[in-house]
Amino acid sequence: MTLAIETISLTRRFGSVTAVSGLNLSVQSGEIFGFLGPNGAGKTTTIRMLCGLLLPSQGTARVAGLDVARHAEDVKRCVGYMPQRFSLYGDLTVEENLDFFAGVYRLAGQERRRRVTATLDRVGLADRRRVLTDHLSGGLKQRLALGCALVHSPTILFLDEPTAGADPPSRQRIWDLLYEAAADACTILVTTHYVEEAERCQTIGFMHQGRLVSSGSPEQCKAEMAEALLEVDAMPVMQAAAVARGLDGVTGVSIYGHTLRVFAKTTTHLRHQLQEALTAQAVAVKSIRAVPPTLEDVFMSLTRGASESEGVR
Amino acid sequence: MLAVAGHVARKEAYQILRDRRSLLLILVVPILLTFLFGKALETGELRQIPSVILNQDGSPESNVIITAFSTYDEVRIQGEVATRQEAQDLLAQGKIKAAIVIPQGFMRKIEAGEEAQLELLLDGTDNNSAPIVEGVAQRVIQRYNAERAVRGLWARGVRPDRGRRLIQPVFVQTEIRYNPGLQFLGYVMPGVIGLTLQLLTVMLMAVTLPRERERGTLDQLMATPITRTELILGKLLPYFGISLLNVVTILFVADRWFNIPVAGRLPLLLVLCALFVLSSLATGLLISTVSRSQFQAVQIAIFYILPVFLLSGAYAPIEAIPEYIRPISYLFPLMYFSRAVRAVTLRGAGLLLVWKDLAILGGFTLIFLYWAVLSFRKRVA
Repeated sequence: MTLAIETISLTRRFGSVTAVSGLNLSVQSGEIFGFLGPNGAGKTTTIRMLCGLLLPSQGTARVAGLDVARHAEDVKRCVGYMPQRFSLYGDLTVEENLDFFAGVYRLAGQERRRRVTATLDRVGLADRRRVLTDHLSGGLKQRLALGCALVHSPTILFLDEPTAGADPPSRQRIWDLLYEAAADACTILVTTHYVEEAERCQTIGFMHQGRLVSSGSPEQCKAEMAEALLEVDAMPVMQAAAVARGLDGVTGVSIYGHTLRVFAKTTTHLRHQLQEALTAQAVAVKSIRAVPPTLEDVFMSLTRGASESEGVR
Repeated sequence: MLAVAGHVARKEAYQILRDRRSLLLILVVPILLTFLFGKALETGELRQIPSVILNQDGSPESNVIITAFSTYDEVRIQGEVATRQEAQDLLAQGKIKAAIVIPQGFMRKIEAGEEAQLELLLDGTDNNSAPIVEGVAQRVIQRYNAERAVRGLWARGVRPDRGRRLIQPVFVQTEIRYNPGLQFLGYVMPGVIGLTLQLLTVMLMAVTLPRERERGTLDQLMATPITRTELILGKLLPYFGISLLNVVTILFVADRWFNIPVAGRLPLLLVLCALFVLSSLATGLLISTVSRSQFQAVQIAIFYILPVFLLSGAYAPIEAIPEYIRPISYLFPLMYFSRAVRAVTLRGAGLLLVWKDLAILGGFTLIFLYWAVLSFRKRVA
C-alpha cells in the first residue's frame, strides 16, 4: 500500500503561536482517516497546509506523492476540499455552483456536463438544481459542498467537519457518500467532533495542542488508552461524582445518565477505595466495574487538561 | 486559460444580474452623476453676481454709469441702497458680492476737470466674483472715458469717428479657434465623464476579492487549481461589459444635455472610453488584491478617487498646479483621458492626435493588471 498523505515534522506557526507542531502523519491510499481533537488542536491548519492553502513553517508534507510546499497547484488538481465554513456562492443555483467548480477544475464540454449531472444525482440534489444555494437547508448545503469537492473526481478528499450541526439522517447521507467515494479508491481525511463518526473510520488520529497524540484503528486507540476506566452505577450520581473526583489517583470523571465513568492511572486499589468512600458518604452503590473504553473515553483521556488550556490557542 | 476565466466571468455575471438593487445603482448612478456634475459646473462660469448701487451723486452722469453696468451679464444690480453702511451690511451678510459706489461730487469733479472716482466694495472671500466685477467696472469706465473724450473732441471740431481713432488707435483682434464660446463646461465635461466612469469602476472592482474573502468563498476557490491570471481576467470581463453600457449612457447624456459633440466622433470616443474604463477596472483590481476587507478596499478607493479630479487636470489645467506636484498628475489615467477627450470634442482631433494618450491608457491597463496578478496571493505564507 502506498501513502496518500505523509507529513514529516510538519510545523506551522502564526506569529508566536505554534498551531501545528512537528506533525508526523501517514495516511494509506484508499482509507478513511478520521482526524480528531478538540477545537484549536491544529486540525484545520493541518488540512489547509495539505491542500496547498497555507505554507508550512517547517517540515514537509507530501500529498499524492507531491511536496505541497513546492507543487501546491499540482496538489490542488488531484484533491478536493470542503472547508469547515460553508464556502459556496449563495447567489448561484445548486447547478451553477457545481458547474462553476467543474469548470475551474478544468473539466470541459461534454465531460463537464456529464460530471455535473452525475454529481447532482449522486448527492441527491438533481430536483433542486435550480434552487439558489442560499435557500438550501444546512444539511443540503453540506451535501452540495461535498459535491463541489467531488465533482472533479479527486484522488484525495479533505473534509473539515463535513457534518457539523447536521441532524443524524443528514450525517448518515454524508457518510454514505464518503463510503461511496472511498469505494472509488478515493482517500479521505475527515475531521469530526462526533465520536460515533470516528468509529466509522479505518484509521483515526488524535490531535491535541498541535501534536498527534495517538493514531491507529479505533480498536488500537482504545486498547492503547493510557488510563484505566471504572464504570460506577450509584445514586445520587452528582454526589458520587464529587466523591470520585476527590480521590487520589482519579484523573477524570464523566457523568452519563445514572452512571459515572471514572478515569485513573490504575484501578488496582481504586475500586475498593471508591466503594468505601461512596458508602461513607451515604451514596447507594449499585455496581462498580472495570469497562473497556469507548472512543469518547479515549478522546476525553487524551485531551484531558484541554479545558484548562482552552483559549490559549 | 481563457476557458477558466470564462467560467469566472459567467459566475460573476450571474451574481451581478441577481443583485437587482446594486445593478440598478450601477446603471442609474452614472447618468445621475454626469448630469448633476455637469449642471453644477455649467454655472461654473460666473454670471449674475449679486450687486447693489450706492448712488451718492444722483446726477445725470451717475445714471449713465449705472445704465452701463446693467448691460453686463456678469453682474445683477439688485437695487440701490441709501447708505454705505447698508451696503457694508449686505456684503457682511453675504447677500451681495459687490457694491458699486458713485461718490458725492462725481459729476462736479468731472465737469471741473478734477479726478473723479468710482468706488467698488467687493467681497474678497469669493475670489472668483471679485475680479469679474472689477473687470466689468474697468470696461464700463473705459468706455465712459472714451465717449467723453470723443464728445470733447467733437466740441473742438473733430468728427466722432476720427476722434475715436485718435483716442484708441489700437484694437486687439482675437480669433478663438476651439470652444469659441470659451465655455468652461466644454473644458470640464470630459473630466466629469472620466470621473464618473472611474468612480464606479474602481469601487465595483475594488470590493470583489475582499467580498469573496469575507464570505469565505475565496477559500474554496483558492483550493482549486485556478491561476491568478484566470481569476483576475474573469473578474474583469463582466464588469467591463457593464461599464461599456455606462459609457454609452454617459456619452448620450453629455451629447444630449451638455452640447458635447459626441455624434460625429463616436468610434474614437468609444475606444477612448473603453480603454479608460479598462485602466480604471485594473486600478480597482489592484486595490482589490491588496485589501483584506471590503471596508479597507472602499477606504483605499476613496483615497485614490478623491484627489484625482483636482490633480489630473480634469477640473483645471495641470499648469495651475505647482510644478513640484505636477509629476503626480501624470500618474492618473484620468489625465490622459480628459486630455484626449477634450482634444476630440473641442478640437475635432482624430486618431492621429490622440494615439499617444490611447497607448498610455493601454499601458496603464497592462501594468495595473500585471501588478494585480503579482500582488494577489493564492497561498498564505
